[in-house]
Amino acid sequence: MQLTLQIIANGLLLGGLYALLAIGLTLIFGVLRVVNFAHAEFMMLGMFGVYWIWRLTGIDPYLATIIIIPLLFAFGLLCDRLIIQRTIGAPEVTVVFATLGLSILLQNAALTAWTADIRSVTTHYTGMVLTPGGLRISVPMLISFAVAMLAALGLWLFLSRTFYGKAIQAVAQNREAAVLMGINVRRVYMWTFTVAVTAAGVMGGLIAPLYSIYPRIGMSFIVTVFVIVVLGGLGSVSGAVLAALLIGLVEASAGYLIGTAWAELSYFLIFLAVLIVRPQGFFGRRGAEVFGGR
Amino acid sequence: MRFRPAQEGWLPLAAGLTVFILLLLVPLVVTDVFWLGLGITVLMWAALATAWNISGGLAGGLSLGHAAFFGIGAYTSTLLYLRLDISPWIGLFAGGAIAGLAGAVLGAITLRLRGPFFVLATLAFGIVIHIIAVNWRDLTRGSAGLVLPFGGGPANMLFAGLEPYWYIGLGLLALTIAVTLAIQRSRLGYYLIALREDEDAARCLGVRVVQCKVLASAISAMLTAFAGTFYAAYIQYIDPASTTQFEISVQIALVAIVGGVGTTLGPAVGALIVIPIGEISRAWLGGGPALMVYGVLLIVIVLAAPRGVIGALEWLAGRLPRRQKASRHA
Amino acid sequence: MLEVRRVTVDFQGLRAVDEASFRIEAGEIAALIGPNGAGKTTLFNVVSGMIRPTSGEVLFEGRDLSRLGPADRSRMGIGRTFQIVKPFGGLTVRDNVVVGALTRGQSVAEAHGTALATLERLNMGHLADARAASLPLALRKRLEVARALATTPRLLLLDEIMGGLNPTEVNEALALISELRQEGLTFLIIEHNMQAIMQIAERVVVLNQGCIIAQGTPAEVTQDRQVIAVYLGEPLESA
Repeated sequence: MQLTLQIIANGLLLGGLYALLAIGLTLIFGVLRVVNFAHAEFMMLGMFGVYWIWRLTGIDPYLATIIIIPLLFAFGLLCDRLIIQRTIGAPEVTVVFATLGLSILLQNAALTAWTADIRSVTTHYTGMVLTPGGLRISVPMLISFAVAMLAALGLWLFLSRTFYGKAIQAVAQNREAAVLMGINVRRVYMWTFTVAVTAAGVMGGLIAPLYSIYPRIGMSFIVTVFVIVVLGGLGSVSGAVLAALLIGLVEASAGYLIGTAWAELSYFLIFLAVLIVRPQGFFGRRGAEVFGGR
Repeated sequence: MRFRPAQEGWLPLAAGLTVFILLLLVPLVVTDVFWLGLGITVLMWAALATAWNISGGLAGGLSLGHAAFFGIGAYTSTLLYLRLDISPWIGLFAGGAIAGLAGAVLGAITLRLRGPFFVLATLAFGIVIHIIAVNWRDLTRGSAGLVLPFGGGPANMLFAGLEPYWYIGLGLLALTIAVTLAIQRSRLGYYLIALREDEDAARCLGVRVVQCKVLASAISAMLTAFAGTFYAAYIQYIDPASTTQFEISVQIALVAIVGGVGTTLGPAVGALIVIPIGEISRAWLGGGPALMVYGVLLIVIVLAAPRGVIGALEWLAGRLPRRQKASRHA
Repeated sequence: MLEVRRVTVDFQGLRAVDEASFRIEAGEIAALIGPNGAGKTTLFNVVSGMIRPTSGEVLFEGRDLSRLGPADRSRMGIGRTFQIVKPFGGLTVRDNVVVGALTRGQSVAEAHGTALATLERLNMGHLADARAASLPLALRKRLEVARALATTPRLLLLDEIMGGLNPTEVNEALALISELRQEGLTFLIIEHNMQAIMQIAERVVVLNQGCIIAQGTPAEVTQDRQVIAVYLGEPLESA
């Protein structure tokens, strides 16, 4: 019983972290119809940003996360201007491979600048644990989870309550109609992409005290996040959150039950099965897969 | 333009034969190990990208899972040789058959998927094969990899010098291009192009989607596996990182895209551009910067010339006469 | 030859076709008419296998087609054109038609011959090497017909091929249809050009809001009260 609860707690905490990445990825897809292969590279940049600020100045990682927000935002804008805006309406090969190229570029730029060394941020709270009812809950994990969930809630409120959020949703549903209604679609794209990748970077900052930091860490996250957004239905924010928590639970329990490698294998098989049998995911709208996601 | 049904003509055939004969003579001129080795690598990637193009260009599905077929080819022939002492020359066909089957299955199950959904499905398939290659240690020895023992001799596709590999690689490339041309001129070629241009119209003319896509995917996978067997025999060491890893899938697609998706010779031209740039920058600058170059190249090509170098050249060729006419009028 | 039995099609709660039933005899020219949005093209899609009906069935020469896709139906002898034309834009006009001929088991060389002959017949021979995407709409519609004819159909479904044609071209189209009928082809034609279609149709099926409201000879249908009501302000003779 204790073990089950522990697994559930771990799984939910992990899922919460995935959620922030998944929301961004699914929004970019839903609104821009772009699969952002470089999404987790922004997370990696956030991790390194926090690492270097902490390392060079000793500033607390959470404070450093706040410091890097404007940097991430500016970099997101730059990528949008140079790459993403140019893929809108371009042939499929451009839409798919431009972000893949960006991913390769960022990963290897980080590799070149900072080598493949594995780094970590250690603070006095790194090993701190809460023990409610005998459960062991990592404090930094809980903080990251809380911030990630708050950010997710904030994004959701933004999308559903503000004029701008509604404009974004309008564009996601029907690009042509949104243009006719006078929505500046290009600007919506810019905001969506930039906010989403900034969120990914913030997520990186939050988990900097928890995870090893190295240039290729994005690879191990992005694929899991793809699984999540497809399960949740590409383009569906609530689906992404639910699927993220689900995958968190699966990952946490599978480690105990069948070993990590085979767990990974089985969830890729599930991923493949979902894509084939129900490509719109469990919460997505039907039809996107047939329209080529455009 | 992307693949159109090929027109008959003796001129392209003569030109092709001339180039082929010239390429046969290369090892007589290039004896430096680095350059000949680079040439062999270019040939292999040209064959891989050309094979990818059969499903990516002709059938219209941008695959990010072709490393799986490459790995199946490499592991099948190597394991048959190591475990059962079956020559890689036979393993070549065994690997091709298994990969062809896997390609047919993948083609069948991804049939209805479009755009990013197809890409993600092929990516997941590639990762599944990679996880198997890494973790089924009893069979593959996992990340430790498999070494082909030295001195197997020509009967086992294992040679002391590089020259034989040049000829085999050239044969492989010639085969993949010949298969591409044959498909373009065949019923299957017409059907695939029709399906790509407008699937509904093609079906209502009697084109059977499942058959066509499954066949194209199987042929593409089989040829990719051939290159895998070739790679294993050439390098004489394989591991998941060099065969089934996602990056290999990306590079196969990258080479084809740089040259020109859907053009007959684009993928080969792409290899001629991408591989030397990659290998030379790796030798001079190291792995990280070399891959940065790939990233930049990929971004620039898909943004500036989504139909690749060949596409851009055709576009230029199409503009030149017009510009001359215009200047004459002026 | 063709029998449509109580076919119903629902699109997300919207009934596009409601219990439609009609038959066409071999060698007939039948017209399917009705206002925009009546469900005519949807019915075509059901017959050609592009969409599966919610209920009901389609029989062709006595065989139930329910389990067959568009490709198999085409191979059985049902050809069709699309109202919103779907040329293989990147291919030449000739290659467009070659695709149709190839599905009938011809070799590539034979198919090229068939394609040229078909194009000649439709006065498009001189356009054989033009890119399909470069044709004006009227010619793209003719290409739809050429492509379908190359599959040697026994039943041909034509979806508004006369829209945008001038009177001379309309007469040519009518002449061609009559000529092909002489050769044994059966037609089901959706057409907005009433004057034209009433000249050649032997049976008319009138669809309104998904329901068949009348069927019979052109004379019978034009006298029908319901039909007149539907076409109110748009007299049948001169529309």
